[in-house]
Amino acid sequence: MSNELDFEELLSTYKSDPFGYVDIFSVHTGRVSFKVGVNQQVASASGEWLQVPGSALYEINRERNPRIVNAPVAGIVAHINTELDGQFVEAGVKLMTIKHPLKKKEIIENILRDVLSLFQAPESAKYFFAMDIQSRIDKKGAREVTIEPGEEILTMSLMKRDTPVYYNGERGVIHSIYFKPGVSVGQGEPLFGVCALEKLPLIQKIITRVKAEWDSEH
Amino acid sequence: MADNKPTPEAVVQRLRRELSLQHAGVEYDLTEIVRRGAFVGSSIESHDQLPRAMDHARSLIAACAGTGRSMVSGTVILADEMSRCKGRFARSWHAPRGGVWGCMVFANTLLPQWRSFIPLAAGVACCDAVNEIFGVASSVRWVNDVLVEGKKLAGFLVESYTEPVHREEFALVGFGININNTSFPAELKATATSIAQILGRSMDLAEFTTAFLAKLALNFGILLYEEARDLRGDGFSGRQGLHLLLDRWLRLSDTLGKRVIFGFDVMNVPQYEAEVIGLDRSGGLILRLADGSVKTEYSGEIRYLG
Repeated sequence: MSNELDFEELLSTYKSDPFGYVDIFSVHTGRVSFKVGVNQQVASASGEWLQVPGSALYEINRERNPRIVNAPVAGIVAHINTELDGQFVEAGVKLMTIKHPLKKKEIIENILRDVLSLFQAPESAKYFFAMDIQSRIDKKGAREVTIEPGEEILTMSLMKRDTPVYYNGERGVIHSIYFKPGVSVGQGEPLFGVCALEKLPLIQKIITRVKAEWDSEH
Repeated sequence: MADNKPTPEAVVQRLRRELSLQHAGVEYDLTEIVRRGAFVGSSIESHDQLPRAMDHARSLIAACAGTGRSMVSGTVILADEMSRCKGRFARSWHAPRGGVWGCMVFANTLLPQWRSFIPLAAGVACCDAVNEIFGVASSVRWVNDVLVEGKKLAGFLVESYTEPVHREEFALVGFGININNTSFPAELKATATSIAQILGRSMDLAEFTTAFLAKLALNFGILLYEEARDLRGDGFSGRQGLHLLLDRWLRLSDTLGKRVIFGFDVMNVPQYEAEVIGLDRSGGLILRLADGSVKTEYSGEIRYLG
């Protein structure tokens, strides 16, 4: 976690370019065909249960098993590797980039993700806090809950197989929670961010500063 | 002195009987499946009473690791009665005398993509054993609840445990099957049932437990067999190239086509209603919501509507 943050530079970066750039990769090997063009607007998943998929970005076909891949975020298609259209690609090849307009809350979260210690999902699954942690959060609020290395922090649940997950980062408070119980989290995505106690004032300074200097929600 | 005392020898004998069920023309090698699954029940501990079999299993595994030994994979821990049983989300599970309560310890050698099939294997094994031993028509509700006449006969919970010395991972397959127990707490009376309630008489607990463990061995054999086939590039051996365990699950389940309510913790936080339209190749439940959109769930619970 860094103490050395140049707010002016960070804020001017976000003010001059208030977008997130999300790269889209091939999900597995197969022949790709694009469903969108450059500068096209795309929507993310919607509906109360996110049951309505985002805009179709590309189809990938492996051994006559076609699969449509949808936009994970809303925005505009900023770039497409058009030479790959109709070609066979390996898994993990960058296909396009979506330019996503950031809200104030997202800017704060982006900056915080740089300064908090993030605990990432070990597998694609649903997560919930261990009972002891959850009762402490319910009682005092997450930012009052200090966690220690080796503590059982989460339960990872997949197909009724529950696996305890142990915290392996530095001692600190749970500052930001990025998952909701019952909603799937992809492998490697952050579950929560931890802040060492002595660095809490720095975090608060970031939030106050962005809120003050960012005059609108968009 | 425990009442429910099946033996490893009886489980093997029962498992051998499965070999006589090999049909001509099927894609799979039953002998190979039985050989791979035979570790289940190779050691059985029968207790008169335990607080919770999963906790006992963790202590045994940790003690083994601490003394430089390996826990026997397939060890089954049974107790006639358990006092601190729990289901998911710390729900209490009523475990008086007369039921089959316990867990099976599996040293988790499966590749990550097949580990989510372990809960399915437990439900299929129980459903198969109930149908065969008691002649009762039971079915599986996703993920692995076993129902008879719409009431819950058995439930399973799989918990992972990483032992503290060598960090070896185990899957603890917990099971609770209502056989001769007939009284349930008030909150479960309308939704739970037992074999004694259905048939009107008590049954031989050890005989059923033996059959259940043999079926569990068979289904774990299937998991390991299908994984080996997949790694060799031979494909799966169920109908239409489906994983054999999923194929068996589909034959025993009544979930497809049902209108359901879904929730991660469906009892306390029901989320949405939908129609079950399929099972994907990872065991995920494919649901069609009221607005026509289709969503696949890999974790959570359902209850049937109507």
